[in-house]
Amino acid sequence: MSRFKLSSILKRKRPDSTSTSQGLTDQEQIVYKVIHEKENMGMWLRDIKRRSNLQDAIVNKSIISLQAKNMIKEVVNVKNKGKKHYMAVEFEPSTELTGGAFYDDGILNVEFINIMKKICLQKIKQLKVATLESVLQQIKTSGAIKADLKEHHFEEILGALVLDNEVMEVKSNGMGEFGAIPEGKVCYKAFGKQRVGAAAEPGIGAMASMPCGVCPRIRSCTPDGVVSPSTCVYFQKWLEF
Amino acid sequence: MVSQHGILYAVHLITNQFGNLVAKVCECLLRNGALTLQAIVRRTELSPAKVRNCLLVLIQHNCVQAFILEESVSGEDAGEPGKALTLYIALFVNILHRVRFSKFMDVVSKELGGSCGELFRGLLEHGRLTVKQIVDRAGANAKESTNTVQEDLGKLVMAHYVECCPAPEPLVPPPDADTKKRAKSSKVMVEPLTLEQRVMAVAMPSVMRRFSFVPNADQVADDQQNVNQPPSKDVGEKRKLHDLESDTALEEEVECNWRANFEELLRRLRHKACVDTIKVRFDDAAATVLSAMLEASRAEEDKVKTANSVPLSLNTIYEEVVKNEKNHSMTFDHVRTCLEELSCPPTFVKTDDESYSIDFTKITEAAQSEEIESIVLKRFGETAYKIFRLLFRAGCLMETDKIADRIFVEKKETSKTLFKMWQDGYLLMEKLVVGGTATGPSYGGSSYLLWKVNKRLLRETVLDEMFHAALNLNLRLAHEIDQNKEVLNLPPDKREGPDKQKFDRLRNVRLLIHSSLMKLDEAIMLFHDF
Repeated sequence: MSRFKLSSILKRKRPDSTSTSQGLTDQEQIVYKVIHEKENMGMWLRDIKRRSNLQDAIVNKSIISLQAKNMIKEVVNVKNKGKKHYMAVEFEPSTELTGGAFYDDGILNVEFINIMKKICLQKIKQLKVATLESVLQQIKTSGAIKADLKEHHFEEILGALVLDNEVMEVKSNGMGEFGAIPEGKVCYKAFGKQRVGAAAEPGIGAMASMPCGVCPRIRSCTPDGVVSPSTCVYFQKWLEF
Repeated sequence: MVSQHGILYAVHLITNQFGNLVAKVCECLLRNGALTLQAIVRRTELSPAKVRNCLLVLIQHNCVQAFILEESVSGEDAGEPGKALTLYIALFVNILHRVRFSKFMDVVSKELGGSCGELFRGLLEHGRLTVKQIVDRAGANAKESTNTVQEDLGKLVMAHYVECCPAPEPLVPPPDADTKKRAKSSKVMVEPLTLEQRVMAVAMPSVMRRFSFVPNADQVADDQQNVNQPPSKDVGEKRKLHDLESDTALEEEVECNWRANFEELLRRLRHKACVDTIKVRFDDAAATVLSAMLEASRAEEDKVKTANSVPLSLNTIYEEVVKNEKNHSMTFDHVRTCLEELSCPPTFVKTDDESYSIDFTKITEAAQSEEIESIVLKRFGETAYKIFRLLFRAGCLMETDKIADRIFVEKKETSKTLFKMWQDGYLLMEKLVVGGTATGPSYGGSSYLLWKVNKRLLRETVLDEMFHAALNLNLRLAHEIDQNKEVLNLPPDKREGPDKQKFDRLRNVRLLIHSSLMKLDEAIMLFHDF
C-alpha cells in the first residue's frame, strides 16, 4: 500500500463528516458494520453497544438514523421478545429468530399447530401403526395441508402428540402389526380402545383425585399447624354433600 | 430409610389400633432404628414392664422383630454370660400392611373360598396363632370340626398365604465381607441390605419348614414340649450364651406359630396391578395373556420385587389362557399377536428364542410414571404435564428454550411453569454460564437454565407426599367423627331433620374417605412395595 493511500485512511475525519457514498457518519458506519456482520441472525442492542465501543447515546442516535435511512430494521426474536434486535434490511430473519413455520409475526400460531395435530392424529388412527413417512405420505396425498412444511415439522408435531399423551411412540419389532415396518423403526400408535376418546384426559391417579394430591400448601400442612387437615378449606369443599 | 411422613402415618395406624402407649414404643423404634429394651425405656421414659408389654403386642402382630447381633456375642465380652443383648426393630412394611387386610382377605377368599377366608381373618386379627388356637377359634365361631379347620389351614399353607413364624430371636451375622468387596470392585452398584432385611433373612425359617404343615401335628408337638420343657423367656430377658447356641435345636422342637405371609399376598396384588396397567395401555386380550403368564410362572417367583418372570413358551402360555372358560374364544394366533404387541419397546414382555418373560420393572415404572403424571397435570396444569413427560422420557438436562420449542408453548409460560415445578421438588435445575462473566450474561457469554427429572428422588418425594395425604385423610375422618359424635350417639329413630342430614353427610364423608384411602394405599404399594 502506498504512503499516500495509507495516510488517507488514517487521516482523522471531522465528526459530522458525510463523506461516505451512502451519506453515513463514521459512527453510523461502525454501527451498521457491526449489525451487518451478524447477517440474518440480527443483533441485540446491548451487544451492538459493546461491540461498537461507542457511547450509548451515540449508538441509539445512529440506530434511529440508520432506520430512517432504511438501512437496518428492528426484528423480533421469539426467544427474547423483550430484547431489541436489529438486522440489515437486505437479510430475512433466520428461523432461530422467527421461530420457524409455527410462528406468525413472532407469536406462536397455536391454532395452526392444533390443526396440524388433529390431522396427524387422524392419519395415525387410520393407519393404526404409523411411521413419520407414512403420515407424511398420507397428508400429501390427501392435500389436507397447503403450507410448505418439511419432514422435521411433522416430526415435531408427532413428538408433541406423544407429549400430549394422544399417541404412543413405540419401536417396531418387525412382527405382527409391525410386519411391514423395519425392526427398530420409530412408530406411532393411537391408544387401545379404553383410551380412545379419553386420550386427551389421562386417567386420574389416586393422589390426584384427593385434595392433598394437588394441594399447593401441602408442605406447610401439619396436624396441629395453621394449615391442618381439620381446618383445610380444600377438604371442606371436597366433603360438601 | 423411612420418610418423615411415613413414620407419622405408621405411628397413626398403630395408635388407632393399639393405643398411645404401644404407638410411643413403636415410634421410638421407627425413629431410632434397632434398640435394646433398656434403650427404649430410657427414650420413652416408660416403665420396663410397660415397654415389655408393648413390645409383646407389637411382636404378636408382626410389627416388631427381636434379634441378637453376632458382633455383640463374639466380641471381647463373648466369654461373659449375659452380654448378648436382644435388640428390637420395627418392621415398617408390616405396619403398613395393617390397612391392607381387607385386600388380603379378598385375595384369599376369592381363591380358596369362604371357610379359608374366615380362618385367614383370624390370623390377621390375632397376628400369629398356634394350630390349637386356630382350631379353638374356628370351633368357637362356627363349630367346625378340627379336621376341616386343619384341612383349610393346609390349603392356606400350600398356597403360601400362611407361613410358619420367623425365629423369635435370631442371631444376625455382620454384613458379608465378600459382598462388601464385590460391591466396591463391581461397576454395577449393589445396594447393601438394610438391617431390617438382614434380620428378616436370618429369622425366616427354611422354605421347607416355612410352608410345611402336617395336619394333627399339634398333639405330637404338645407332647414333645412337655417332655423337653424349654425355659420360658420374657421379651428382653438376657439369655445365656449356651442358650443361644442351642436355639436352632429348640426351634425345631417348639411348636410353630402360624401367620399370614404378606410377601405372597403382596405378590398377588402386584400381579393384579400389572394386569390393570396393561389393560389400560393395551386391551383386555393383552391383559388376559399377561394374567395367564403370571399364573403360569407364579410358583417360580421367590420374592416380591422380582424383576422378571421365568421364560415361558408360547404353548405353555396358550394352555394357561384357555384354562379359563371365558378365554376359549382366543386363538393361538391371537395370543401370539398379543405377545408381539407386549414385546414392542417399551418391552413389557421380553422375548428370547420363542420364550416370553414379563418385565415387572418396566410395567411398574410405567404405572408409577402415570401416577406422577396425573399429579403433575392436576397440580401444575397442562403445560407442566407436557414438560414433565418430555423431561421424564429424555432423562437428561434440557434447556428452557428447547423445552418451549418441543412442547409448543411460549417461553415465558414455560419458564414460569418450570420454576413452579422446581419449587415443589418435581424438577432439578442447573445454571450454565457459557463465556463472559459468571455473574450473568455479558458480551459473548450467556447463561442457560437446564432442567431435569431425577426419577429416584421424585419417586421418594411423591411417596412421602402419599404418606402425608394418607395421614391427612385419617386425621380428617377422625375430625369429622369427632364433630358429629352427638349425631352418631342418637338412636336411629330419633335422627330427624338436620340431625338426619348430618348423619347422612357423615356417612358419605366416611365412604369417600375410605374409598380414597384404599385407592391411595394401592398407589403407596406401587411406589413402596412393588
